Amino acid sequence: MPVLETNNFGAISFTLESVFEFPRGLPGFEERRRFVPVQNPQTAPIVFLQSLEEPSLCFITLPILVVDPLYRLQVMEQDLDVLSWRAAHPPRIGEDVLCLAVLSMRESGPTANLLAPVVVDLISHRAVQAVAPESDYSYQHALFPREAAPCS
Amino acid sequence: MLMMSRRQGETILIGDDVEIVIAHIGRSRVKVGIRAPRQTTVIAQEVKLVGDENRAAAAQAPPVAVLRALLAQLQPAAHTLRLPSDEGSVRQDAGTKT
Repeated sequence: MPVLETNNFGAISFTLESVFEFPRGLPGFEERRRFVPVQNPQTAPIVFLQSLEEPSLCFITLPILVVDPLYRLQVMEQDLDVLSWRAAHPPRIGEDVLCLAVLSMRESGPTANLLAPVVVDLISHRAVQAVAPESDYSYQHALFPREAAPCS
Repeated sequence: MLMMSRRQGETILIGDDVEIVIAHIGRSRVKVGIRAPRQTTVIAQEVKLVGDENRAAAAQAPPVAVLRALLAQLQPAAHTLRLPSDEGSVRQDAGTKT
């Protein structure tokens, strides 16, 4: 089993089948094509996307339905091509694809990028960060809006 | 900002080597064709915003304690959701450095 030295997790072992392939990288990281999903039982359901090519590069993500249980996934044609999506129906979260929202930790509180979810074909593990310009979702969706009553 | 009115099929020229064609006008969207030199980057603004956002997000992962506090704030229903890819694709035993 290959072992990867990472900044955040130390040395981790992973299986090649678990690797997500981003044929076009991610916006801002076009040259980073291979990521391995890492979960820590203490922080589930957070999924860390750890770059295989850059030990210091790791995205913190949440399954998008955790952020918004009613999230409507829209994948543009060019991104379906990246996934090599052949089915006649659009990909469905959980059934066809894993859909992750990238989190940013801001001083004002964590935000999730709902405008551009990471979409991973559950079978091929080809992946793309699918920008949905026609959606009304924000790329800085506040996880905990200020006006919301705090959970006890 | 220079504003120009164009009909479907009409073209705008920018400098000597950038050409913008209004290919199709729909009810709420316009399809635009762009011919530009290879070295000129042409992307939708959203893609640039997402790239900037990714760079901000890629900062080092916060310690486990911070993430656990964050998760505790999520609505309780969220915790019952399971990852669809639970079988096989995700390693369970990685420890995050604190």
